[in-house]
Amino acid sequence: MGQRQFVLFGIAGVIALVVAITVAGLNDNLTYYLYPNEAVAQRAEFPDGERFRLAGQVVAGSLTEEGGEDLSFEVTDGSATIPVVLLNTPPLLFNEEVPVLLEGYWSRDLFTAESALIRHDENYEIPSQGNYEDG
Amino acid sequence: MLAVLGSAGMLAGLVGAALLVRRGIAAARSDRPANLEGAVRVLVAGAVVAMGAMVLALLTDDFSLVYTANHHAIATPFPFDVATAWAALEGSIVLWGLVLTGYTWLVFHLHRRSPDRLGAAALAVMGGVAIFFFGLMITVANPFEVCVQAADIGCLESSPWPFAAVEAPANGPGPNPLLQNHFMMAVHPPILYLGYVGMTVPFAYAIGALSLGVPGPEWLRRSHRATLVAWSFLTLGIVLGAWWAYEVLSWGGYWAWDPVENASLMPWLVATAFLHSGIVQQRRGMLQAWNFILVISTFSLTILGTFLTRSGTINSVHSFTQSAIGPALLGFLVLTLVGSFVLFSTRSDLMATSPRLESLVSREGTFLVNNLLLSVYAFIVLIGTTYPLILEAFTGTQVGVGEPFFNRLAVPVSFLLLLVIGFGPVTPWRTTEKGLIWRRTRTSAVAALGAGLLIAILVSRNGWVVLAVTLGTFVIATLLGLLWEQARKRSMRTGDSHSRSLQRVVTGDGAFWGGQLSHAGVVLVAIGIAFAGNLGEHAETDLSPGETTTFQGYTVTYESPFRKTTPGKTIVGARLTVTRGDDVVGIVEPSWNYFGAQSVVGTPDVLHRPGGDLYFTLRDLPDEQGAIPIAFDTSPMIWVLWLGGLVAVTGGVVAMAARRRERRPAVEAQTVDV
Repeated sequence: MGQRQFVLFGIAGVIALVVAITVAGLNDNLTYYLYPNEAVAQRAEFPDGERFRLAGQVVAGSLTEEGGEDLSFEVTDGSATIPVVLLNTPPLLFNEEVPVLLEGYWSRDLFTAESALIRHDENYEIPSQGNYEDG
Repeated sequence: MLAVLGSAGMLAGLVGAALLVRRGIAAARSDRPANLEGAVRVLVAGAVVAMGAMVLALLTDDFSLVYTANHHAIATPFPFDVATAWAALEGSIVLWGLVLTGYTWLVFHLHRRSPDRLGAAALAVMGGVAIFFFGLMITVANPFEVCVQAADIGCLESSPWPFAAVEAPANGPGPNPLLQNHFMMAVHPPILYLGYVGMTVPFAYAIGALSLGVPGPEWLRRSHRATLVAWSFLTLGIVLGAWWAYEVLSWGGYWAWDPVENASLMPWLVATAFLHSGIVQQRRGMLQAWNFILVISTFSLTILGTFLTRSGTINSVHSFTQSAIGPALLGFLVLTLVGSFVLFSTRSDLMATSPRLESLVSREGTFLVNNLLLSVYAFIVLIGTTYPLILEAFTGTQVGVGEPFFNRLAVPVSFLLLLVIGFGPVTPWRTTEKGLIWRRTRTSAVAALGAGLLIAILVSRNGWVVLAVTLGTFVIATLLGLLWEQARKRSMRTGDSHSRSLQRVVTGDGAFWGGQLSHAGVVLVAIGIAFAGNLGEHAETDLSPGETTTFQGYTVTYESPFRKTTPGKTIVGARLTVTRGDDVVGIVEPSWNYFGAQSVVGTPDVLHRPGGDLYFTLRDLPDEQGAIPIAFDTSPMIWVLWLGGLVAVTGGVVAMAARRRERRPAVEAQTVDV
């Protein structure tokens, strides 16, 4: 085998290896985006602790602040509703009836969210409460 | 009125582009001197008028244009009103067209005195690309549609006919708040586009050379120089983008492997590969076919990037069909790829057979490894970016590829690249005499191990940090050693002083030393990333006015909440004093910025310190008593990252200037064989 072939085979080998590693790495690092009805339907594919993103709307009247810092609420897409506990500080403007994107995992019948994002498009009021210092 | 003017500009651009294609092809086919000036003038004038009309509409609050009505507000201050001209989809296409015609004008003038067939063919290709983008403007991304039914704020219904009966709203919603929160948003897009669109020039030369059947050295020299220009702008654009993200977005990071970021990184990686492999062809006549592939891929990746960022496909494949711009860009991408590679394959018999690679341990060997690594890098980013789209398109499943995927694969490749950067410049062409590389690197290897050990003892045992410092020291020490060795030899030969020899060595091969300066920049970027990414500290707490807390040796006192109103926005935030010992280090005001009633954006405040930045983010608004949840972060040595980016760009500029100097006489000599 000439050197040229040797180099070509070497390159082909490296490329094959890279493709294999890339594809393997990809499958380990996918985050699925699910709506509540999909999350319920695919419950078996996402065992407790398996991360995914849950997109839906915060159900009106479901928002409660438990004894500690964690927020509890329900998220719905109209056809299914899932109870959620949010571990971290909610984003500004987080409220009932707001569309949210949560990242977390199933814990039995509960979705434990580690982070929440608001998917927004609506209008906001500049807050008037509080003793602000002007200027 | 401005709608008519702008529409006329777009039409002129389209006509000029079509004329340029026709006359360019004719000129490329014949030996008669080309007469392309008229076509280029019409094209440039059209683009300038179109952009001018947009800017004028924004400056004069002309809400009869849908674009102004939906992306501008009377209160939008300068320079954000001007920057709005390219902040939204339609305007960004106009900017693309303007930059493209700017480059067309440049290419035309560079070869004006010695008109040649390759230049004419390249201009025809650029005209073809311009036809697409001006066509896009006129059809699916028309920035000069007029508003025929106004809403209270913004426009409800539009008409592409510039003479339609106009009903202009009294005001618009203003640009995307994120884009008017920092002056960088006025600067970053044009610079990025100068890089991105600049990649059209090397592509045009490549296609021109393939069409004419002259895959000799001339196209490569011109493409290489053009790539250097575009690469320098693209590098600057990426660095400024990262800096903007860091200063403006409240997450403390600068790079998130976001599709928009990846879209700029992929062409950068492939263009960087070409900057190296192009040298191999110039010096050794190797990699001729590979260079065509790299140049075509770079351009295709810029179109792919535009598709990814401008079609709305990133949010969901389902938004793809909401606008015709997505299918149009995808169609153009497919056309580019299929057309280029069909042309390439029909010309493969013209490719000269490469001389043998005499030894892998040679400069060309290290360039080969470098190209392999950069291609692998680009491939990883490409797969990670497009996989979610492909999966959703075929199965309907929505997924995201997480940052760990990119980090796990890209970080090792980056370190391998650093290693190659260290060895490449000291490895001679063809073959290496035994022991030479060892002689040239042993001192720097010792220095590198010493630096790594020192960092491990004094600063951190974090593996990535130690590795980055070790490899970085190795690269820079090796470069300095090489510079010193050459200067010393020259001094012995000529009797000049060391400093004069040093100067002469650098100016004697500015292209090479410019490249090495860029290497040093890349090293600094790697060190900055390693420190900021691995040694940062994070803390969160709640503070009431007057309360004090400590973070990383700093004392932070929460003075009070505040509220400010400036033209265009209302700022609600918290004022904190940061002290170290008895010294006041600074006052910070992290805040939430309200833009009209439409939107609110969190804005961090950063205290820049030589050892690293202190980063303050409000997690929520002050409550009734003024209490705030606040987050503190440190980004150690992050300024090294920004410095490295600027050094890399400077290296590109130095190499460009050197090439310009050395090329002048050569052009006359080598245009004969075209």
